Amino acid sequence: MILFLAVATGFLGLAWLALAMDVHWLQVTGTQSRRPAIALRFLGAAALAASLVLCFIADHVSMAPLVWVMAIAGGALLVAFTMAWKPRLLRPLIPRIRARD
Amino acid sequence: MFPSFRLSMTWLHTWFGLVMGFVLMVAFFFGALSVFDREIDRWAVPETRFEPQPMPSYDKLLAPIFAGMKPREEELRLAEQRVGGPLPAQKPVMNWGAYTTHRDPVLLMFAEFGITNNPNDPDDHVHGWFQIDPRSGKIIPDDRLNIGRDFFYPMHYSLHLEWMELGYWIVGFAALVMLAALVSGIVMHRRIFRELFTFRPNKQAGRSTLDLHNLTGVVALPFHFVFALSGLVIFAGIYFPIEETIFKPHAEAQGMADARARGLAFKPAGVPAGLASVDAMVEEARRRWAQRGMPGEVGMLTVNHIGDRNSYVSIYRAGSDRVTLVGQGVHFEGPTGRVIFEDPPPSAVQGVNDFLTGLHLQHFRHWLLRWFYVLGGLAGCACIATGFIFFVEKRKRQHAALGTGGARWVDAMAVTTVTGMLIATLAILVANRLLPVELAHRGEWEKGAFWGAWILACAHACWRTAPVRQAKLAPAWAEHCWAIAGLGIAAVLLNWITTGDHLVATISRGYWPVAGMDLFLLAAAALAVVAARKLRRHGSEAGAAAVEGTDGDPVVPQAARVAS
Repeated sequence: MILFLAVATGFLGLAWLALAMDVHWLQVTGTQSRRPAIALRFLGAAALAASLVLCFIADHVSMAPLVWVMAIAGGALLVAFTMAWKPRLLRPLIPRIRARD
Repeated sequence: MFPSFRLSMTWLHTWFGLVMGFVLMVAFFFGALSVFDREIDRWAVPETRFEPQPMPSYDKLLAPIFAGMKPREEELRLAEQRVGGPLPAQKPVMNWGAYTTHRDPVLLMFAEFGITNNPNDPDDHVHGWFQIDPRSGKIIPDDRLNIGRDFFYPMHYSLHLEWMELGYWIVGFAALVMLAALVSGIVMHRRIFRELFTFRPNKQAGRSTLDLHNLTGVVALPFHFVFALSGLVIFAGIYFPIEETIFKPHAEAQGMADARARGLAFKPAGVPAGLASVDAMVEEARRRWAQRGMPGEVGMLTVNHIGDRNSYVSIYRAGSDRVTLVGQGVHFEGPTGRVIFEDPPPSAVQGVNDFLTGLHLQHFRHWLLRWFYVLGGLAGCACIATGFIFFVEKRKRQHAALGTGGARWVDAMAVTTVTGMLIATLAILVANRLLPVELAHRGEWEKGAFWGAWILACAHACWRTAPVRQAKLAPAWAEHCWAIAGLGIAAVLLNWITTGDHLVATISRGYWPVAGMDLFLLAAAALAVVAARKLRRHGSEAGAAAVEGTDGDPVVPQAARVAS
């Protein structure tokens, strides 16, 4: 369960980092509207850090970084494929950011 | 030689990547399969489809089985050649041991027997081994090929080229090239972070292939780098055999000093003696591990100098809870059961070595990380396959205009190594379920099916890539995809027919080694169908458009993904 959360937050973090780039922002929102890039980067980095912490909670200290690095790799592939084929699926991530922004 | 550093890196990446890519593809793919080698074995040897077992009692179960162990026939024949005549009737047993992991239902037992009449080598010996069902002590017939552990796994690191250890050298060189390709690839790429998540399947084939190549290369870069490096570290003893060459006297002196420091007898005393209770020693070893804060199960147990006063028992811990591969061995005096020596914590250098080895060999119990390793390996395959396709896409029109066949032959080799390898892999599984159980040398036939299928796939690939000469898409890709789909489904059905273990049964029983195999095969078959259909659509579009040379489509990378 903790590992699942670690993988999920890893994915979230990468998705936010991607949204902070104008190409991907356009893909997801369909508009060139001004994006909260700094907030998105901050959120993304925070989520990645949270993911690493969760990995350390779940596993032996020698195992956790490996799991984290691979979770990031898998998450990045998933973000890239979602952006390519179903970018709209990432939309729910945006209002949440606005709310916190 | 080159006007800029980047161009020289591009040349290196392109040509070394192409030539060694064929080897790397094999190493990555069979490496990914080896992550689940034990599970593949369960699928391939239905008699062993039961839950993993702990190390059984030595005193009650293992001791009588060890006593009845015999040397392997094929080893005896080789020993006769070494000796140059008949072997003595008495082949004294020197040592024996048993090995298991948290994924092994069966227990591997092995022994060494002395050959006393070899004039050239007083330490000449032969081996015996078999697997038992640790619940009953029944010996598992050893005429079965453990496809995962004994075929796919050696394929990963030696390509089954045993002669002069050639395969190890080729794979090692490929790993070195891999490291160079990663570095040169980063130099070529330039927009690593800006295009980290970039994949544009609807752009023209060359662009989308390159996107996928960059994506799978960059996101799994730490994996690719660390695995190529740790693979080299594991076999450093083969690549730099300094212990056998310039440092041989030092290495021998070190070995003797180590043995003395540990108090473990190097040679038997020649005085017969009994063996104390090994079960009690196991208890003591477990107590000591728990004291060190790492309680665990026994992974390996060996008895050395059997029946001698100098005999000793070594008990190693199964390293299933951490990455580092260390055994925390505890060594006992055989006749008394007194602890002689306990392995100290490793030095810093040894610790790094153990960590890299453990990271690569993954004895740990962590299913998510195992699957991530498969993902990393398959990402590597996709990266290499898209590299091939990009190479061909970039050149085929130019080669067609010039009338040269370079792109076509590269495409034929790419088809052979990407989809052809999958066909061969599925062929050995199908053969495993089709061949009669009582067939003599059944394992050899299974291997024959693998190599035969690969050769056929290669021949087909050479034949059906001819259209590349007209800058068209090779029909070989789609046809291979259909073959993969057919074989994948056939393997699952044959498993059901021959063993009765269909998916509903294995899933409801929660027997994941076999259920996972079947699901993976079906997923591969489904992906192959999708790829074949897309390739066909693209093929007809491209056929119509070939005259104008406007074939642009997202399909080729799809095939590459499937292929991995």
